[in-house]
Amino acid sequence: MAENETSPTILQFAPLNSSVDEGFWHSFSSLKLDKLGIDDSPLSITGFCAPCSHPQVSNHLTLLSESLPSDEQSLIANTSHGNRNKCPVPGILYNTNTVESFNKLDKQSLLKAEAKKIWEDIQSGKALEDCALLSRFLVISFADLKKWSFRYWFAFPALVLDPPASLVELKPASEYFSSEEAESVSAACNDWRESNSTTDVPFFLVSVSSDSKASIKHLKDYEACQGDYQKLFFGFYDPCHLPSNPGWPLRNYLALIRSRWNLETVLFFCYRESRGFADLNLSLVGQASVTLSSGESAETVPNSVGWELNKGKRVPRSISLANSMDPTRLAVSAVDLNLKLMRWRALPSLNLNVLSSVKCLLLGAGTLGCQVARTLMGWGIRNITFVDYGKVAMSNPVRQSLYTFEDCVGRGEFKAVAAVKSLKQIFPAMESSGVVMAIPMPGHPISSQEEDSVLGDCKRLSDLIESHDAVFLLTDTRESRWLPSLLCANANKIAINAALGFDSYMVMRHGAGPTSLSDDMNKTHRQRLGCYFCNDVVAPQDSMTDRTLDQQCTVTRPGLAPIAGALAVELLVGVLQHPLGIYAKGDNSSSSNGGNIDDSPLGILPHQIRGSISQFSQITLLGQASNSCTACSETVISEYRKRGNSFILEAINHPTYLEDLTGLTELKKAANSFNLDWEDDDIDDDDDDVAVDL
Amino acid sequence: MESGREVSDFSSGDGRLTVEDFSVAARGFSDNWKTHNQSFPPWSWVPLISRTPLVSKKQEEGYLSLEKIIILSSLEEKNPEEDSLNVETDCSEKEESIDDTILVQPLDNEAHYYDFHIVYSASYRVPVLYFRGYCSGGKPLSLDVIKKDLPSCSVSLLMESKWTFITQEEHPYLNRPWFKLHPCGTEEWIKLLSQSSSSAGCQMPVELYLVSWFSVVGQVVGLRIPLEMLN
Ligand SMILES: [Zn+2]
Repeated sequence: MAENETSPTILQFAPLNSSVDEGFWHSFSSLKLDKLGIDDSPLSITGFCAPCSHPQVSNHLTLLSESLPSDEQSLIANTSHGNRNKCPVPGILYNTNTVESFNKLDKQSLLKAEAKKIWEDIQSGKALEDCALLSRFLVISFADLKKWSFRYWFAFPALVLDPPASLVELKPASEYFSSEEAESVSAACNDWRESNSTTDVPFFLVSVSSDSKASIKHLKDYEACQGDYQKLFFGFYDPCHLPSNPGWPLRNYLALIRSRWNLETVLFFCYRESRGFADLNLSLVGQASVTLSSGESAETVPNSVGWELNKGKRVPRSISLANSMDPTRLAVSAVDLNLKLMRWRALPSLNLNVLSSVKCLLLGAGTLGCQVARTLMGWGIRNITFVDYGKVAMSNPVRQSLYTFEDCVGRGEFKAVAAVKSLKQIFPAMESSGVVMAIPMPGHPISSQEEDSVLGDCKRLSDLIESHDAVFLLTDTRESRWLPSLLCANANKIAINAALGFDSYMVMRHGAGPTSLSDDMNKTHRQRLGCYFCNDVVAPQDSMTDRTLDQQCTVTRPGLAPIAGALAVELLVGVLQHPLGIYAKGDNSSSSNGGNIDDSPLGILPHQIRGSISQFSQITLLGQASNSCTACSETVISEYRKRGNSFILEAINHPTYLEDLTGLTELKKAANSFNLDWEDDDIDDDDDDVAVDL
Repeated sequence: MESGREVSDFSSGDGRLTVEDFSVAARGFSDNWKTHNQSFPPWSWVPLISRTPLVSKKQEEGYLSLEKIIILSSLEEKNPEEDSLNVETDCSEKEESIDDTILVQPLDNEAHYYDFHIVYSASYRVPVLYFRGYCSGGKPLSLDVIKKDLPSCSVSLLMESKWTFITQEEHPYLNRPWFKLHPCGTEEWIKLLSQSSSSAGCQMPVELYLVSWFSVVGQVVGLRIPLEMLN
């Protein structure tokens, strides 16, 4: 073909690029999940294009959520018809169900098949009626809906002219036209773009008469434009911004022009705009010379090209939308947001990281345990471990807010297991685990065969406490709180204690362990706050002791556990936000104007809170640690450190041992009053509605 | 309160808007924008299909939309995840014969696209700015990348100001997460703005509500409005 000495410049076209809106993948995922299932037959879709409107950026063929066939109840009125920036283009989507079948697709034949449709539409004249058919496109995709990732590849089939068209001339339309012509062309284009019926018709004829008047016509009116005084330009919406090349749509346009009208010389007009108006500086006028076919028949489809490159390479594109589609991630960000808003609006100095990283150990997964866990989640705490040996009983779900009827049918699920499952259901980002285990109690002698397993439980409990930051004592007996109190004092872990009577409750935080203060440089004047068992000897400063509580009482008013559970968590949050943490001294509500508020953004941080629902009253109390406490005194802790297991066994087997050690008689009295045998507890005994000595 | 509401010379004394006022203000804002801010495309009103067809409202419900604002960034950082996903498939051999009619383009400047929606929040009774950014291929931009596109004054405004708190939440009409400037401070600073203007002897008409609102909010996302818009 290169017989001339100067070979003509081949007309080169700037490839079209694709853009897929996030919304498309969202809608496609719903369509796939709700309707298509594994049906992988090709889908008709609609792409949207528009002329280039930026001097440095080309326009893309865009897929939006409305690109899919839809019958959904969208709130937004469908504005895509007659929208100047959304000219519809027909396309076809081949979605595969596996990545293997995606890779195996015969891309060459798929492209050919679409090219054939374009060719046939040209031959039949359909493309003259509906010129968007010239820009048909195709997409292959693999949607991994479990990972919210999508792999896809576009093709913009273009019929190849053989031999290729050569470029005679190409210049900005503003230079090509006289100023009068340019003005008239602009005006005509603007009218075309303003009218709802033509704005989304991307191929058109521009005729300029000898008196510089331009008019725009549909392709099908080609014959009517054949006047003697007219110059005829084949106009199209050019997505390309380059001053040196026309865009991709011109390819099939030229194929149509050559095939329908047999023109050897084609004047084309690349229409581009800025700010919604024709921009003849950006727009181009060019002259192409086309070799007319001799033996070409309508049956022979020309070769085609058009698979989109990805950054210059022949590879598919991919996108991961886990951030906007993974419901767990969405839940996490929503929960975080709620806390951030609280900080932002009310508590600017709130440290949220401390909360999200703190590990909580809940001893007891009954009424209080469920309530504490729920409130902890509300504060953004993610890490919760339950220790409980009971199963969910039929009476539990109505009071124990993590369980449902399903958990008690059959033999009943272990609470420690059911609670973990429940937390995950409420909020999938919870890191929760459950330990089915009874807590060894003092004054309950065991046989020598049981020793190993009881000591094993002690070791497990000790390890659990070591590996957590805060411990909630929520078990149903007073005695079962002794070992955890001791272990927390030994490990210097935050311990929060909540207990319920029939219509009264007590919530407290334990002070730091005794040895933690010996390390401290100025331990003088710093008193430790008491633990649950210190109350046995040191009466609270403000006394509510004239109340009498029935120790055998096994019922509580249902409103108590939510109140006490919530207070227990608020107390923990107060400790975590306090600069002194576990060492923070106890505030009284009466001392609230004593200037302590500045220490914590949350207000005062009491040591103990007692309340009565029969009086609808609540007070804060302060009690210092006792030197003869059976759980947290230096004597007990150092004995435990010295003798370890044998100390524990002695405490368990000899009801008077602790009293001997500390000179106390209280614990024995209390222990004697319990007649439960924790080894043999069956489900019925496992009523977590605590009745303990307040 | 409701019955005493005047649409035309409403003084946003309490810093809030009714939904009808919002659509009036929206029109005022987009007209004003078109006149004074021609370097930007116009805001368009996206009407919503009414969920309560029995209630015939004078003003239709909808939101304002300004889409595809382009920011050119010279270098696009490589996304390692993307590269690993793009395993070269061997099926691409010999698919297309070399075709010298295809222009081989150098890799362009990467364009970032931004969409902005002004949506009425019925619970706060104030306008809320929703926005998102994405690459030319459609991939959404993270907030960290978006912050790199913002002028430095916007970034410092974001860090320092108590009023400008960006969150990611579900777009109320698109049902996908978009970024938004959280509206909980809006009422208060609008009140401040309108107090300063009424102390100067003029009331803030409802048509100007969105203009003054956007004069604050727009700065956060790098969209300044010309002073003439504020009269
Ligand atoms: Zn103690």
